Amino acid sequence: MNSYHHQRTNLMKLFRLLISILLTFVILIGFTPSALAFCGFYVAKADSKLYNKASQIVIARKDNRTLLTMANDYQGNVKDFAMVVPVPTVLEEEQVQVGKPKIIERLDAFSAPRLVEYFDEDPCAPVMYDRALESAAPPPAPAPQARKRSNRDLGVTVEAQFNVGEYDIVILSAKESRGLERWLRGNGYKIPRGAKRLLNPYIRQKMKFFVAKVNLEKFDENGYQKLRPLQISYESNKFMLPIRLGMVNSTSEQDLIAYILSPKGQAELINYRTAKIPSNMNIPVYVKQEFGDFYKSMFQTSYTKEDKKVAFLEYAWDMSNCDPCSADPLSREELKDAGVFWLDNNPNEIAPPGFPSRRPPSSNVFITRLHVRYTRDKFPEDLMFQETSNRKNFQGRYVLQHPYTGKTNCKAGRQYKKSLRKRFEKEAQTLARLTNWNIQDIRQKMKLEEQASGSFWQGILSWFGM
Amino acid sequence: MLFKDIRDYQILYLSLFLLLGISTRDWTLRPSMILVAIATSLITQSLLTLIVNRWSFTTNKKENKQHKQYKTNIRSPLITSLGISLLLRADYPTTMFFAAASAITSKFIFKLEDKHFFNPANFGIISALVITPDAWVSPGQWGEDWWYGLLFIGAGGMILHRIGRWDTTAAFLGFYALLEAIRNFWLDWTWDVYLHRLMSGSLLLFALFMVTDPRSIPNSRTGRLTWAACIALLTFILRNNFYLSTAVFWALFALAPFTVLLDQLWKASRFSWTVNSVSASVSRRDIQ
Repeated sequence: MNSYHHQRTNLMKLFRLLISILLTFVILIGFTPSALAFCGFYVAKADSKLYNKASQIVIARKDNRTLLTMANDYQGNVKDFAMVVPVPTVLEEEQVQVGKPKIIERLDAFSAPRLVEYFDEDPCAPVMYDRALESAAPPPAPAPQARKRSNRDLGVTVEAQFNVGEYDIVILSAKESRGLERWLRGNGYKIPRGAKRLLNPYIRQKMKFFVAKVNLEKFDENGYQKLRPLQISYESNKFMLPIRLGMVNSTSEQDLIAYILSPKGQAELINYRTAKIPSNMNIPVYVKQEFGDFYKSMFQTSYTKEDKKVAFLEYAWDMSNCDPCSADPLSREELKDAGVFWLDNNPNEIAPPGFPSRRPPSSNVFITRLHVRYTRDKFPEDLMFQETSNRKNFQGRYVLQHPYTGKTNCKAGRQYKKSLRKRFEKEAQTLARLTNWNIQDIRQKMKLEEQASGSFWQGILSWFGM
Repeated sequence: MLFKDIRDYQILYLSLFLLLGISTRDWTLRPSMILVAIATSLITQSLLTLIVNRWSFTTNKKENKQHKQYKTNIRSPLITSLGISLLLRADYPTTMFFAAASAITSKFIFKLEDKHFFNPANFGIISALVITPDAWVSPGQWGEDWWYGLLFIGAGGMILHRIGRWDTTAAFLGFYALLEAIRNFWLDWTWDVYLHRLMSGSLLLFALFMVTDPRSIPNSRTGRLTWAACIALLTFILRNNFYLSTAVFWALFALAPFTVLLDQLWKASRFSWTVNSVSASVSRRDIQ
């Protein structure tokens, strides 16, 4: 009799598994036309708004051509805004553009770590249903600054000077850092102390300086509320991002989220280790209400565990699809806005919205989302990248498995209830390990004590075959 | 029997690194790829040994000698495939197959007397990078942990001490470190940038395991030192002027053929794997 019971539960499990697989299949295939409104089981995302000082950049790169978009989330008075970025070549007017602010938000939303949820079916009558819910994530942040005056010759050459949108752009080359520093100060840029020494290596490597500030007249004229991102393009074998200048006087942690778009495959750092963020973990369902906090704590824990010196891979995916989607895939136009310049030759590469194909179509845009939290002591060198041919998909994905809450009046049901206890405890431990939160607090929030005693009694009852 | 041959240590250490990599570094390391590399290397080695022996058997008819050559060498292809597995990444097993097969084949083709002048693993890596579309090398994946550095140095040091080719490693690393120091000084970077650049696990791995292979480096000490310094210089140029992330491999590949020239310039006695010099003549033959 016992073995019969055992067999039955096994059959039940198999049946449940089959149903789940079938249903997943049905949802992916049958429901795809509405996929834009309802994409898989996505419930929440942990996007860049979580971090206080997160800079975001988009690098679209093919061969040695780079299109770099720098997000501007500067919160202070726009008249104080200025940026100095070392660039590999002199940039002419046509190489600098103002990007659409929306595009970075789109990339962020598309690639953000995501929370998905599944619902257990009634273990007595395996009729399954799934649904998706949506909820949003937390608030925004500030950036660097400087100002204006006149021009003098200090070994500094103004290679180009032009105006793009609300920005005044100057491209400088310099012979030595003292001259450059004086020029910048003389022209009203507030250069932090200690910057002089840091300018030297870039000057010696014959890099140029891209200096931007806001043209107030244009800014008012156009009536923009916020500064738009700057987009620059250049040809160079250098695939790097200068981070040292941003750390002149700061010892605090800074967040950088880089979206790297390449026709080839995943990008990675070559001078620091790139680690994957923990993913595909089952966590307690209550985390749905605090997914932002969860992700922040989890990131911090992983970051500390890796000794604060690795870059985290949060997303690596072929951009023609997503599963589950935390936002609609980018349209062709949006990809172009993001800097993808190699689309023209292949008009059918991107799946048209609302019509994702069954097998993952291979587009020629692969996105890598790298999240680097850097400090002066652990990241002494600028970030150097390379694109690899690795086309393996990866996403930060966290799973909520809702238990069945209805009545269960069969043996399988009691077995199921019993198994829940173990499952919840495992989820609690996973959560504690990932976030470093107190396990007792987690258990309390999950109301595990009640659950535990409930299933304990049920365990005894089932022991007597009731 | 085990650990009589120095290469057993190499095999042990390389496998240890692979295991460490799989368990702690969450790389793109995949056991299936490692298996493909090992199997391909072993099969290619035995097939080619067979072919070469048959062929020389019919042409030379030196029976006694040939019989010994039938004993297929396992250590060398194993080391080669472990090296490839550690350093090369690929999307498809076919690429791994190609890399391992070309690595072993290179030993049979590019050889002079009984010395092959390309390091087989290096040859395999370069040919996969050039010919296949999906191969890559992840120089950053080793990280810069001191712990790893020490482990590498300790392990490598032991091996090198025993095979007596530590001078190549020292010359390569020393000269490279010097060049980077000069560059760092000239660029006016802080010295932690310099240390960070040198603390690269893959650079050490290369210096300890690839540039030291006695089968493919010059015989005389002067030759080796010159050669190692040239590789360091070329690596430095490729890395800093051409921004090649695979600079070391290209440098070794480009300079490998010069071992022949250097051997002509500085003649020296040939190296043997076995500690015991009496058995040197045997090991000479089953080395392929």
